[in-house]
Amino acid sequence: MFDPALFKLPGMRRLAVILALLAVIEGLCIIAQAYFLSVAIVGLWHLHQLATIVRPMLLFALAWVARQLLVVVKNKLMYPMVERTSGDLRRQVMQKLYKLGPSYVAKTGTGNVVTTALEGIDKVQTYLMLVVIKVIDMMVIPWVILIYIAILRWREALFLFAIFPLIILFMIILGYAAQAKADRQYEGYQRMSNHFVDTLRGLPTLKQLGLSRQYANNVYQVSEGYRKQTLAVIKIAMLSTFALDFFTTLSIAVVAVFLGFGLVNGTIALLPALVILVLSPDYFLPLRQFASDYHATLNGKNAFAAVKKMLALPVPTDREQLGTNAIHWQADSTLNLQNVTFSYDQHQPALQDIQIRAHGYQRIGIIGASGSGKSTLINLLGGFLTPTPGAGKIEINGQPVTHLSQRAWQSSFFYIPQNPYLFHATLAENIAFYQPDAGLGAIGRAAEKAGLTDWIKTLPDGLNTAIGEGARGVSGGQAQRIALARAFLDDSRKILLFDEPTAHLDIETEAELKKTILPVFDDHLVFFATHRLHWINQMDYVLVMDHGKIVEQGTPAELEAHQGAYVRLRDEMVGVV
Amino acid sequence: MKDFFATFKHDTWVMPYLRKYKKLLALTLFLGLMTFFCGSALMFNSGYLISKAARHPYNILMIYVPIVLTRAFGIGRPAFRYAERITSHNWVLRIVSDFRKKLYQAVEKHAVAIRQNFQTGDVLSLLADDIDHIENLYLRTVFPTVIALMMYVLIIIALGYFSWWFGLLMLVLLGLVVIVMPLWSVLINGARETQSRQIQQGFYTQLTDSVMGLGDWLIAGRQKDFYQRQTKPIAEIAALRRKDHQFQWWRDFTIQLIFGVVCIALLIWSSFYWTTNSASSNWVAAFVLSVFPLVDAFQSVSQGVSEWPSYQRSIRRVNALDTAPTDDHDQTVLTEPFQMLQVADLDFAYPGGHRQIFNHLDLTLKAGEKVALLGPSGTGKSTLLKLILGDLQPTSGDVQLNDVPISRLQNQRAQLFGVLDQQPYLFNTTIMNNVRMGNEDASDDQVKAALKAVELEPLIQGLPDGYDTIVEEGGARFSGGERQRLALARILLQDAPIIILDEPTVSLDPITESHLLATVFRVLQDKTILWVTHHLAGVENVDQVRFLEDGAFDMAGTPDELYQTAPRFKRLYDLDRGREA
Ligand SMILES: Nc1ncnc2c1ncn2[C@@H]1O[C@H](COP(=O)(O)OP(=O)(O)OP(=O)(O)O)[C@@H](O)[C@H]1O
Ligand SMILES: Nc1ncnc2c1ncn2[C@@H]1O[C@H](COP(=O)(O)OP(=O)(O)OP(=O)(O)O)[C@@H](O)[C@H]1O
Ligand SMILES: [Mg+2]
Ligand SMILES: [Mg+2]
Repeated sequence: MFDPALFKLPGMRRLAVILALLAVIEGLCIIAQAYFLSVAIVGLWHLHQLATIVRPMLLFALAWVARQLLVVVKNKLMYPMVERTSGDLRRQVMQKLYKLGPSYVAKTGTGNVVTTALEGIDKVQTYLMLVVIKVIDMMVIPWVILIYIAILRWREALFLFAIFPLIILFMIILGYAAQAKADRQYEGYQRMSNHFVDTLRGLPTLKQLGLSRQYANNVYQVSEGYRKQTLAVIKIAMLSTFALDFFTTLSIAVVAVFLGFGLVNGTIALLPALVILVLSPDYFLPLRQFASDYHATLNGKNAFAAVKKMLALPVPTDREQLGTNAIHWQADSTLNLQNVTFSYDQHQPALQDIQIRAHGYQRIGIIGASGSGKSTLINLLGGFLTPTPGAGKIEINGQPVTHLSQRAWQSSFFYIPQNPYLFHATLAENIAFYQPDAGLGAIGRAAEKAGLTDWIKTLPDGLNTAIGEGARGVSGGQAQRIALARAFLDDSRKILLFDEPTAHLDIETEAELKKTILPVFDDHLVFFATHRLHWINQMDYVLVMDHGKIVEQGTPAELEAHQGAYVRLRDEMVGVV
Repeated sequence: MKDFFATFKHDTWVMPYLRKYKKLLALTLFLGLMTFFCGSALMFNSGYLISKAARHPYNILMIYVPIVLTRAFGIGRPAFRYAERITSHNWVLRIVSDFRKKLYQAVEKHAVAIRQNFQTGDVLSLLADDIDHIENLYLRTVFPTVIALMMYVLIIIALGYFSWWFGLLMLVLLGLVVIVMPLWSVLINGARETQSRQIQQGFYTQLTDSVMGLGDWLIAGRQKDFYQRQTKPIAEIAALRRKDHQFQWWRDFTIQLIFGVVCIALLIWSSFYWTTNSASSNWVAAFVLSVFPLVDAFQSVSQGVSEWPSYQRSIRRVNALDTAPTDDHDQTVLTEPFQMLQVADLDFAYPGGHRQIFNHLDLTLKAGEKVALLGPSGTGKSTLLKLILGDLQPTSGDVQLNDVPISRLQNQRAQLFGVLDQQPYLFNTTIMNNVRMGNEDASDDQVKAALKAVELEPLIQGLPDGYDTIVEEGGARFSGGERQRLALARILLQDAPIIILDEPTVSLDPITESHLLATVFRVLQDKTILWVTHHLAGVENVDQVRFLEDGAFDMAGTPDELYQTAPRFKRLYDLDRGREA
């Protein structure tokens, strides 16, 4: 019922003690309030004058106000803690997200990531705010009231005491059942948001396949599935509320009847009987308040668990084996990979026995059939994938590192992925993404080199035109050239990782671009994965990949002489028409 | 108030559902009312019971009726409450499913331009956030308010029956709680709620954009900027919420104070009204005790109502979506088989762009013909395909299939065209399901045959889950070329007379590419094909090559002819073979 993880939050124990003390005072206020109210009622019952009950009425009012004030005070004490915790969680989630990187998003789903970070943490916040105060109230206030009732009359007290564990037991049993369903419901929720994002991103494709209209039913069904799951949880969660309500109201009724008999027999006077009657709902109130938000609590608890699970995911450690400053890559710098292996799923290695010796301003081409592991290799070089530990060695400038997710390394290369993403921002901001301080002049020159100037002239706001999702569309080749412009803008990074940067370009545009790209290669270390073999003539060294292995490597001339995989690919090209 | 009605003036999202599920709604309200009635009646009855018992009646039967009633109310309250909770949640969730579907349909109408018109985060916030809000609108605002108001009226009538002046007093005091406080809450807190929703929604959009481009943030090393972007809304929301909570605590405190006053007023009234004789004074405890269960019912109204502005925002947002059913009256179907695709005198420019993409463009494609379309990046090849599909409307000129304008054949599109566009999407489900989307009636064997044709068979068979491997969002599980081939397999299954391919072999190595093109042209032998390509591999398979440049066709002819006569074509051809021009 109470999440032990909560107590691990910093400052929680101290706060819990204070809240418990306040709850004792609140219990005393409740007793005072019930007592004076009963005195006033009994006075009237004895047909006394109004003037005689003024004092108890005032005292009742005082106790009432004090009790309500205590509620405000408790909230005020609790809130900073809740705010701090949920704010911290959100910040931690963002930091973690940044560290986990895109492969985590691909596995988990964009919708899921976003809703966890936003809705999820909102739910945690509600949960924290509700659960702590309520649980403490539930553990303190009933006892205070019970002791007082016992002083008045032990029989009713015993009855109330006996019923309490019974109710708790019931709630625990039902709670377990609800929890199991709620876990599934939470998964259902995440699945649903993933499903929506997935559907939305693929909507144009659905339309082309003629499925977009009937997909409405699919959306409806996913939503209905979620409704059924939710309802299953609610049924059980509400059942526990029902059981609780049932027992408490019935207990009050039983107490009233008990008291009635006691009064008829003359074993109790009206005043204590009335006090007990007024107190008995308050005795159950904390329990009821806890249960009434039980459903919300379950959601919050699940969200809390999901967030903590994400925060606990492993991230590459030892990211500073090369220090924190960018590497100054020079003509005599070296990068060595020996017997490096990588696998996506522990099942089948995606890269095997990779041997690379790169130095200075080499231009290294990577070619190979589709699915042979070019992108995987580039991602490994970029440190987005961590090689299988223990197998193989990586050295930069002679210094061994365990993986390439080194901060120093990552801030010294530039990477164009196979499918670059355009942000919802202006064209200039998109080009200057890696160098947000760049001036418009420099951005314009970079765009010029990427062959975008003619197009930019046709745009209504030139470089300040908004592009990306929810704004002006750009053609496939333009998107790729915008990514290239990013590389042209940033000359401080001396290592370039290009994953088919020209795949979406037509031959002529590519030939034009080649003229501006080649000079950039001069003082850079370049890894260039491509299917367009004419680039190979410009490379100093070529890696030919097949099924996750480097099957051939050497200068283009050596490969030419070697009659192997490279030559086969090349012949295929020449056989056109 | 005016604002309130204005929100519902052209509403298609809230009112229709209230009407649609009228009976269930009435039931929910009735059950809610009974819950509170039983709660109050229980305490009322108990108070009376013990006061009466304290008079030492000579016979237990004298208090028999209140005893039985006590038990009845004691059982009735939880039972009604349970029933109420279940019906109301069921009702609301059912509506929400309808909503989601309707929202999807509204977005679907703009499917083609979805990437230009919507940001994913935006729609996600609509689906996840706004719809949740509308759900809460019912559960937290509509139901509690209506139930509390009904209780309010009943109580005033009951008390007015005993004494009109006291009824009047309660009308004022309880009116403070159910009417004045809620309105005050809206006034004070409404703006804050709205603002915080606005920030939250911006946060959604912005975070989704950042998450989708996470890789770039990472390499750019802009960790600080990334955090800053996210922490700014976090801090803003936190500040608003803090004020919001402060306000709520003190408001609830005030409401409790009013209830304290109600109690004291009841005591004073009783001292005048119920102390005439000892029999009537038994009612004092009954009246006073029955107040407490009501606190719950009345207190939640203020909170519910103060959330109204944020719901209002959501309602406006969903109402702003265009949900009118598509106008189908001029749609027809092509009855005879496809014979000819004709593009005549076509002009087109994107709205807001300075550039005319096409000038008087003409193109004719006879059934069975295969045409390759080339041209520099950004000339409008993809745009032409969209015009042919009817996704875009020409400024002037026509696109016709067998003399029927394409705009009138939109319902039949999927039967007429098989399309592979530049950004084909793979859904987060199994390989099988993804490929089968091309043709829902295809058998497992047909799907597998298509996968074999795109040379994915060995790869898939090597996977632990085989054909049931989940491809992950956007196909992230596979390499660029593999994704492209999965999408292509989908088209091979599709049984449409015209096939439109926009760079089908991008990201493929030359060997796979040439195999694949050979397969495509073999499998789709008797279809009409319009194929956008960036280089000349496989071009020998087509009947006609066309170059698009500056809004018009520059060169056209069979590949052989062009090679002989057009120096530009020859140059391209050489470039493509890796020879420098
Ligand atoms: N939705 C849009 N709104 C405004 N302009 C657009 C839109 N989509 C494309 N454009 C512009 O229209 C022109 C033609 O785009 P299109 O996508 O048709 O080019 P393409 O020939 O397919 O190029 P590529 O080979 O690079 O894919 C480009 O300049 C592009 O920026
Ligand atoms: N996230 C992943 N999980 C499991 N396997 C993967 C994942 N991503 C890629 N693979 C597999 O690893 C192999 C190599 O993929 P990679 O993306 O490196 O190929 P590639 O050489 O870049 O191909 P292409 O030219 O088609 O882009 C492929 O068989 C692919 O299916
Ligand atoms: Mg790749
Ligand atoms: Mg295009």
